[in-house]
Amino acid sequence: MNDRLKNAFDKIQAEEQLKDSTKAFIYKKTRGYTRRKTAVYRRLIPAVACFLVIILGGYWLYFIPTVEISIDINPSIELGVNRFDKVVSVASYNSDGQELAASLDIKYLDYSEAVNQILTNENISELLSNDEVMTICVIGSDDEQSDRVLSEIESCTSEESNTYCYYADSDEVSHAHENGLSYGKYRAYLELQALDPTITAEDIQNMTMREIHDLIHSLSSDSNSAADSENDSEHEQIENGTGNMHGQSQAQDNGQWQGNNHGNGQGQGHGNGHGNRQ
Amino acid sequence: MRSEQEVNRAIEQYSNMIRRLCMIYLKNYADTEDIFQTVFLKYVLSSVSFESQEHEKAWFIRVTINACKDLLKSFFRNRTVSLDEIIEQPSEMSTDDKEVLEAVLSLPQKYKDVVYLHYYEDYTAPQISRILGKNVNTIYTLLTRSKQLLREKLGGDGDE
Repeated sequence: MNDRLKNAFDKIQAEEQLKDSTKAFIYKKTRGYTRRKTAVYRRLIPAVACFLVIILGGYWLYFIPTVEISIDINPSIELGVNRFDKVVSVASYNSDGQELAASLDIKYLDYSEAVNQILTNENISELLSNDEVMTICVIGSDDEQSDRVLSEIESCTSEESNTYCYYADSDEVSHAHENGLSYGKYRAYLELQALDPTITAEDIQNMTMREIHDLIHSLSSDSNSAADSENDSEHEQIENGTGNMHGQSQAQDNGQWQGNNHGNGQGQGHGNGHGNRQ
Repeated sequence: MRSEQEVNRAIEQYSNMIRRLCMIYLKNYADTEDIFQTVFLKYVLSSVSFESQEHEKAWFIRVTINACKDLLKSFFRNRTVSLDEIIEQPSEMSTDDKEVLEAVLSLPQKYKDVVYLHYYEDYTAPQISRILGKNVNTIYTLLTRSKQLLREKLGGDGDE
């Protein structure tokens, strides 16, 4: 049986064609026997790619805010809240805001805790007791999270008077940062601009929310009432509130107008005189 | 990486053996070609330094068997094929050889490589046990049983 097996197996030979094709394959695979063994770093490329995707994806998931909470009194600060309801960024939009942001340590806290800390902050409570207005604006694309955040903040601030909470769509206020305003102020600015198109972002920037609110209030009642006298007195109030710039421009306008009058009068006088002599 | 001469020598030297192992494990020619490519590519790229010819031969046996097993694992194939399909030049074979090979191929998988290594390559049971990584006594048992089976199939004439 040994011999029979041996003979039978002996008949099995690798075909020449098989050998040749294998040689050709190896030659091709090694690029003419020049290729080195696949370098380690090339094998790591997919692993590194996956790693990067995870890191970037994780970064995107955690560090890109989905909802912004804009808190304005005069300090304007903005909290970026990620999809896990954690505060991931604190941005300030004026010097008061910078001070406030520096005094707070609210990064990576839950947003409700962060808002509570801000509300209980000394500066803030002092401002609020001085009858300043605080607006808290929740900005997000229209989804369930922003609704939840808004209602949470509303319940947080329900005891405070002078505090207004509202919701703004992110598209609506997308130009806020270009104008150097926080979202909450920008929203007020838009409101104000609808009433008085001459108002600019720079005017708004250093106004407190109380001033802006008063201005909005007065302008809207302005457009509603027909009586002129009321109008004027309110205007004066506003101008005192907004600062010197408006007052100065009005004074200049008045001056020009007076000057024009003067000129006309002189011209007439001269003309008459000549005519009489001839 | 190994040189072209080395690879060509290895192909000449071991391709018959690898062909037979493929025949034992696989059922068609395309797979055999696959195995040849896999095995020799591994040889080209490996940095194993062989102590002796025997070592090299054992390396090839082991690598081939592993490659065959991997291929079989990789997709489901459970069909039996007649010998004509496995061997390219069946016409050159005598009916006796055919009968013997068919008998070997009809054995359960675990007997086939043992039979080949023992009867054709003349390895002893301890050597086979080292190559296949099995217990020596297991190899003895496998050899005895396969001998019985072959004897039944081939109308045993009692010769060893």
